Amino acid sequence: MSDVPNTIGKVAAPISPSVETNKPARPASGFTATRFKKITQVGIKSIYSHGLRSLLTVLGIVIGVAAVIAMLAVSEGASFEAQRQFRDLGASNILLKSVKPAEVEQSSSQGFGPPQAIIYGLTFSDITTIRDSIPGINNVIPSRIVKKNLWNGGYQVSSDVVGTAVDYPISRNYNLRAGRFFSESEVREHANVIVLSDEVARSLFPIDNPLGQSVRIDSDYYNIVGIMEAEGYSNLGQNQAGSSNAAPSRVFIPFTSSKSRFGETTTRQTAGGTESETVELHEAIIQVDSQELVIQVGEVIDSILARRHKDIDYAIEVPLALLRQAEESALRDQIVAGAIAGISLLVGGIGIMNIMLASVTERTREIGIRRALGAKKRDIILQFLIEAVILSGVGGLIGVVLGIIIPFVISAIWGMTTIVTPLAPMLAFTISGVIGVVFGIYPSMRAADMDPVEALRHE
Amino acid sequence: MLDTLPVTRECVASLTDIRKTYTMGSLSVEVLHGISLDFMRGDYVSIMGPSGCGKSTFMNILGCLDQPTSGSYFLGADDTSTMPDDELSGVRGARLGFIFQSYNLIQQLNVLENIEMPLFYQGYPENESHEIAMSLAKRVGLETRVHHKPFELSGGQQQRVAIARALAVDPLIILADEPTGNLDSRSGAEILDLFDELHEQGKTLIMVTHSDELAERSARWVRLRDGLVESDERRA
Repeated sequence: MSDVPNTIGKVAAPISPSVETNKPARPASGFTATRFKKITQVGIKSIYSHGLRSLLTVLGIVIGVAAVIAMLAVSEGASFEAQRQFRDLGASNILLKSVKPAEVEQSSSQGFGPPQAIIYGLTFSDITTIRDSIPGINNVIPSRIVKKNLWNGGYQVSSDVVGTAVDYPISRNYNLRAGRFFSESEVREHANVIVLSDEVARSLFPIDNPLGQSVRIDSDYYNIVGIMEAEGYSNLGQNQAGSSNAAPSRVFIPFTSSKSRFGETTTRQTAGGTESETVELHEAIIQVDSQELVIQVGEVIDSILARRHKDIDYAIEVPLALLRQAEESALRDQIVAGAIAGISLLVGGIGIMNIMLASVTERTREIGIRRALGAKKRDIILQFLIEAVILSGVGGLIGVVLGIIIPFVISAIWGMTTIVTPLAPMLAFTISGVIGVVFGIYPSMRAADMDPVEALRHE
Repeated sequence: MLDTLPVTRECVASLTDIRKTYTMGSLSVEVLHGISLDFMRGDYVSIMGPSGCGKSTFMNILGCLDQPTSGSYFLGADDTSTMPDDELSGVRGARLGFIFQSYNLIQQLNVLENIEMPLFYQGYPENESHEIAMSLAKRVGLETRVHHKPFELSGGQQQRVAIARALAVDPLIILADEPTGNLDSRSGAEILDLFDELHEQGKTLIMVTHSDELAERSARWVRLRDGLVESDERRA
């Protein structure tokens, strides 16, 4: 023992009330980084020595954390999607659409002889009434939509030809990539002018600039005056999956031209043969003065149309209302996510408490040894608490990784927009750490409260 | 008693009228009926007695693992009989070294880490405790085994690790509870040789044993009977 400094010998007589204590406990350096590291190392060792058991223990935490991150990503994505559509459609717009009523469809299929044109949908008098009877509407933009083939020499594209008014792009926040939209005078003159979508322009004119050239629809030629920007064609009426096919191929001609070139009645090829229908208006965008009025105006329009139409051959879309719905459903998703996470984390926490209690019983003797060798109660508490936090932390980490992967899988399989915000993993991970502390306290206290003598005797 | 002692030998532990009563429900049993003993620096004591004499209870009190119902126990300069738990832990860690019959090493930790443990709880810096543990491992002849786990060692080797651990903080008293009880005679003899060396170096050793053979090596014999000191003899 010559190599260990001998510090004994400071005490003169033990009974004397000497203030000097020999061998004082080192100035309790408290829980320094090294101390913390040491305890953590021991904790990791102990968890590692029961690998499978530890993994099963943290499963609840893993599922809870992964679920909350994934669900938040989905709901975040949905609300992002709704907001994007809302922006596209305009906050103060109401969209009216003609919809073929179910009863008409039935009666037409029973008919014999020459196909009879089905008449349904919105009429001019509808929108005039709406415009004139509701205050706060500053513009109504009608649209007729007819599916046609567009030709440029040998190139051909099938597209929705939208006959509309000059305000259409402004009302929908659409921008032109090149050229201009048609003018008021061209509308008056029933001019043969056309504005192409980016997609249509690229398909029909793969090499040269389409501006100033013309496309053929049926037997008429239309001068190309403008090309729309590629973005901004999505439409709340069509779901995300469908929008990429239908919307981008829209082209625009003056409303008047559509009426005089294509006529009132349009013919469609259906599975059972040809079908004719007469629709005055396919769509109308109603612009309201202020956002606050949009929802009320929408309700009034609904009641006006309900009075004027026997069948429900129209649909009203209020983007703001849809946004509200989306927000509500996002909130609902978040509450559900929270509940699932809460339950799962509770189960996970109980699992951790369970395993920690088992570990404390198993290691009773170790606790006794440590106590004999100078461990204070708080040393023992800290040791088991750190172990519980490591367990739940590892679970939380696995959960975060899974929770980030799952949204990617969801996006890949179902094409849903998912957004993982950095907040969600951070929050989930923090909660898992807190779970470790909360559910680790009781087992740790039990470990610390053991009688050292009893603990040392334990087999 | 103090005046009969040689001047050079100071008292490291002094117990006065130690009583211990266990209460189980309405039944209370006094196990120790007033034990007074002083232990001097450099003492090599064997504590003996038939089972049921209160030996274990006495050792637990001596090891500050338990506190007496009444009486005082000065270990160094402080009365431990009324110390709060945290301070008692500190005293155990700083002034006592334990050697158990069943070694009581921690299985997940290697030899070096086991020796370092009391130093860890005393807040020694890592490099210092590492140095001390290494020199102690060498001291007990296990310098080549420092990274082995306890289950990879023989019983004798494990007990030597336990001795090194007991020496780590350079305690006032080393307490050994049947230190050779689990060992074959050769390993047991090796351990006792080590005890002799420690004794020669002036360490204070207190050992509980049943074995007369073991007790013969020591220099003082305390016999307990029915919770009282029956005899207290020193080697002449």
